[in-house]
Amino acid sequence: MRKFMRAGLWALGALMVTLATTAVATNYSLWINGRTGGGVLGNYADFSYWGPSSTDAGVNKKSVNWDGYNHISDQNYLVRNALDCHCTGSNWCYVAAHSAGDLMIGYTLSMYGGSTRYKKTAVAGADGVCSNSDGSTQTGWNIKWVDVAAGAGGGSELADAGDWAVSEPLVSDLKTSTARALYDHNNTRSAWFYMYAGAKGTLYSFVLPGQDDEVVAYHSSGGVSGSSGGSYCNPGDWLCNDLTLGTAANQGGRAKWSNHSVVFRDDAEAYNHYTNNAWGGVVSKVRADMVANAR
Amino acid sequence: MARPLLFVMAGAAVAVLVGVLLPGGDTTAVVPTKPVAVAQAAAPASAARSGPAASSPYTVDGLRARQALLALWQGRLKRAEDTLVSYQRSTRYPHEARPLSEHPDQVRPFDPIADDIPLRTPGGEAAKGVRVRTTQDRVFASGAESVRFTVRAVDENGKTVPLLVTRATAFDLPDPRQVAGRPQAPVNFVDAGSGDGTLSAVLQPSTQGFADFAGTIRLQVYLNEEGQLGNVYFDVVYQPLVPAEWAGVREALSNGSLDFYLKARVAQPGRYVVSARVDDASGKPFALLSFNDEVGVGAQEFRLTLFGKLVRDAAPVFPLTLRDVQGFLLVPDKFPDRAMMPRLPGAVYTSRSYALTSFADTEWSSEERDRYLAELNKDVSESKRQVEELTR
Repeated sequence: MRKFMRAGLWALGALMVTLATTAVATNYSLWINGRTGGGVLGNYADFSYWGPSSTDAGVNKKSVNWDGYNHISDQNYLVRNALDCHCTGSNWCYVAAHSAGDLMIGYTLSMYGGSTRYKKTAVAGADGVCSNSDGSTQTGWNIKWVDVAAGAGGGSELADAGDWAVSEPLVSDLKTSTARALYDHNNTRSAWFYMYAGAKGTLYSFVLPGQDDEVVAYHSSGGVSGSSGGSYCNPGDWLCNDLTLGTAANQGGRAKWSNHSVVFRDDAEAYNHYTNNAWGGVVSKVRADMVANAR
Repeated sequence: MARPLLFVMAGAAVAVLVGVLLPGGDTTAVVPTKPVAVAQAAAPASAARSGPAASSPYTVDGLRARQALLALWQGRLKRAEDTLVSYQRSTRYPHEARPLSEHPDQVRPFDPIADDIPLRTPGGEAAKGVRVRTTQDRVFASGAESVRFTVRAVDENGKTVPLLVTRATAFDLPDPRQVAGRPQAPVNFVDAGSGDGTLSAVLQPSTQGFADFAGTIRLQVYLNEEGQLGNVYFDVVYQPLVPAEWAGVREALSNGSLDFYLKARVAQPGRYVVSARVDDASGKPFALLSFNDEVGVGAQEFRLTLFGKLVRDAAPVFPLTLRDVQGFLLVPDKFPDRAMMPRLPGAVYTSRSYALTSFADTEWSSEERDRYLAELNKDVSESKRQVEELTR
């Protein structure tokens, strides 16, 4: 009996070691929030920014929570921690980002996409940090592609014009000139950014140029390159250049950032910026894509 | 067989068994599965309707479900193929040596940032028939660097209209890490002499009250266009520290690529991000080279490699010109996140001339690229397999 118990304990120990270190290839869907935040930092199961956590949002979904208030650079460690946990070794990631989450993942890949990373176990502590798997390292993270809803990588004129509180550090990052100077947006480490741009904006149309979702204009949500914003619209507006679908340069000639492709342009003006804690607005389009393709 | 080894094997067997028996969920491993099983899990509700009628391929519902699954997997296959082809093509050159055409807004990095905005006050309506055109020559500044700003007003036809700057002050944006209450600094806008009504001003933080400040300085400008009021804001992220100074350039042909070594005297160790543009002898913008790595203190060299195959494919006319160099110390998880090195605008260095055959014609090779290509190929194979199963 004792022999049997000892063997059982050995087996249990071996099981623990195996579970902790075995390189089982797993795909994850990481969701990076925007301004306001809401989820507990480091808790990858807390989807309170987005909506009910029971909602399907891609394979093995994880919520990469940052406070949505402080500077992108201040909070960036939270994103790097999440990528280290879930996108190293034999694990791979699909990334979905909303609003300032676009600025966050773009900054991460441009600044740290080629840095040396320890491979991790994908078992996170309360602070969102995972332990090393076998002590080995790799260059960058394993990211297949990025879906962006209402991307604020190009900033928002609401931050330019003093309409948002200046006491909020993130607002100064979201000034269009600052957001666009923050990093080389073309440098995504060859990962595609699939852009989903909403146009159901009315309240701030006199501030946000061209079509907007009430927080960001098409120049940002459509990944239009340049050091400042511009006016881009749906087809049919004679006074405004079209935001083109795909990777083609926009009407008027301005290119999109490299590795950025507009897959959804809101021609029916039906999607606004807000999740409403229900995976709503243009996030609903990204969620549908994640459900279909992030497997 | 040694007893410990037996125990480990037993443990592994239990682990496998547990892995098989544990229900799926957030830790489900991605392993090849039978097409229908995977597809049912992922299919739209209409396609994955339960019940014998839906599960049978010989009913109308069953046929519809199968068609929906097929469409789903065809979509996944296309995404997987696009991702693979794009990655393979993109990474024939390393990430640090790219065609400049891929970085459209990095071609002239020191051009002023130009904007065209409505004349309005915060929360107010836009003034009718007038817009404000602004420029700012940089966002990030360090040490003794200064920043130039311009403003002018135009009517609906783009014609200049008179504009007054009634007041302009620079102040620090609130930051919980710094003591608030720093005195505001007046900034003087004057006629820029360009003949088009442009007004300009220069802010040098180190001499205008911000020598010991690291953070965002906001220049708030109050405008009056024939009684219509408005504000514009310019932000400068300032850091007094100058982390390193440039100290010349040398070149070396190595392993079929051309290395430009940008020498520097580094005062502050850490991760440096450096970029430079390369034009060919006919002035054609050609390549963007970058460096992003940890560097120690003292005399250092940032190596910017012009990758051989990039030269072979583009066939630039030699000699090449290295121009518009920018660099900064990247400070992780802090704000400001960088301390700028002095800008090196214009031509910085001219290379020697080389025969095209001096350069290697092989694609970039690395563990990173191999890792990606293996995984992306696997995704294509799996999607193909699913589509084939569903079209049988």
